[in-house]
Amino acid sequence: MAQILHEKDSVRLRKVLVQLLARSESDDCLLCDSGGHVLALEGASKHDPFLISALGAGIFGASRELARMLGENEFSAVLHQGEHRSIFLRAVDADTLLVMIFSRSANVGLVKLYSTPAVDDLRQILADIQHGPSVPGPEDSRPFVLSPDAQLFSLRKE
Amino acid sequence: MSFVNFKKKEVQFKLVYYGPGLCGKTTNLQVIHRLINPEARGDLTSIATAGERTLFFDFMPLVANAIEGFQTRFQLYTVPGQVMYNLTRRMVLRGVDGVVFVADSQWSKMSENVESFANLEENLRLQSETLQTLPHVLQYNKRDLPDVAPVHFMEFMLNNGAVRQSSFPAVATTGEGVFEALNMVARLVLHKFMTVHNRKEEGACELALV
Repeated sequence: MAQILHEKDSVRLRKVLVQLLARSESDDCLLCDSGGHVLALEGASKHDPFLISALGAGIFGASRELARMLGENEFSAVLHQGEHRSIFLRAVDADTLLVMIFSRSANVGLVKLYSTPAVDDLRQILADIQHGPSVPGPEDSRPFVLSPDAQLFSLRKE
Repeated sequence: MSFVNFKKKEVQFKLVYYGPGLCGKTTNLQVIHRLINPEARGDLTSIATAGERTLFFDFMPLVANAIEGFQTRFQLYTVPGQVMYNLTRRMVLRGVDGVVFVADSQWSKMSENVESFANLEENLRLQSETLQTLPHVLQYNKRDLPDVAPVHFMEFMLNNGAVRQSSFPAVATTGEGVFEALNMVARLVLHKFMTVHNRKEEGACELALV
């Protein structure tokens, strides 16, 4: 089964991330699932969101196992602090992760503080998506079609 | 599981290269990275030990023009093959859409192949997935080495289910059998996605994040 994010849900998720970005003075905010898929992204940096998502999901999965070993349900957040940039990962629900990247001009306390209401909002939106009625737009309900010139992967031309 | 973002017009799939230690999973990704059209790929990221053994996973995103009106992304992962890293393999398998099982063709590695294949089945079972419904192909690697088992023997050992899967003899270091396996698993994943999604659209549109 596919995870499907319709346009109206993307807009709701984006609104939360935009607000979080502004309040916390972070560079990037990214929402990903435990499989490493990027659900939503806001920010202007040049980091590859797909790589951040893959590694973030990996880090969080590893920390969850460490928590389990120590008898905790989970570590709800992980902070990697660097000299110039830091990354803060926080669980939204059992399968979704919020990743925030911020520079040293941002305050780590504010990042943590503002992530709390944002996570609550995101959790609510994800619950609405999972349990709410389906109202896809007309564009969203068209069947998928393979491209007539569909090319998968081929060798580079010498 | 695949992820569709209608706003960004993007579909994401996750492909995992699985197999025993030193069978050539990372080599597959390295060769794809080296030989594929550069516009179709991102960077290859490896988290390895000092001895170049995969510690966590390798990761490389690929982009294909496969679904009309959508950018189609295939995220390629490998798992660490060493037996002790089973928790990491489970983690990497989460949300998988397709698997390339890389087997080492050497006679001496046959029991490790079988063990790894059983480990794949067990780890999938733990996430309520099964090879009977998950798109997958087999790649019999290292065919250039001496003392390799015949392909029909490898089929007997690894490809003996009710439905015979596609399999590819390969020499990953040269690229032989690498793109064939990648393209086949990508096609199988796309076919399953089209079948499941379009069937659902014919009935009620179900919105789900599960």
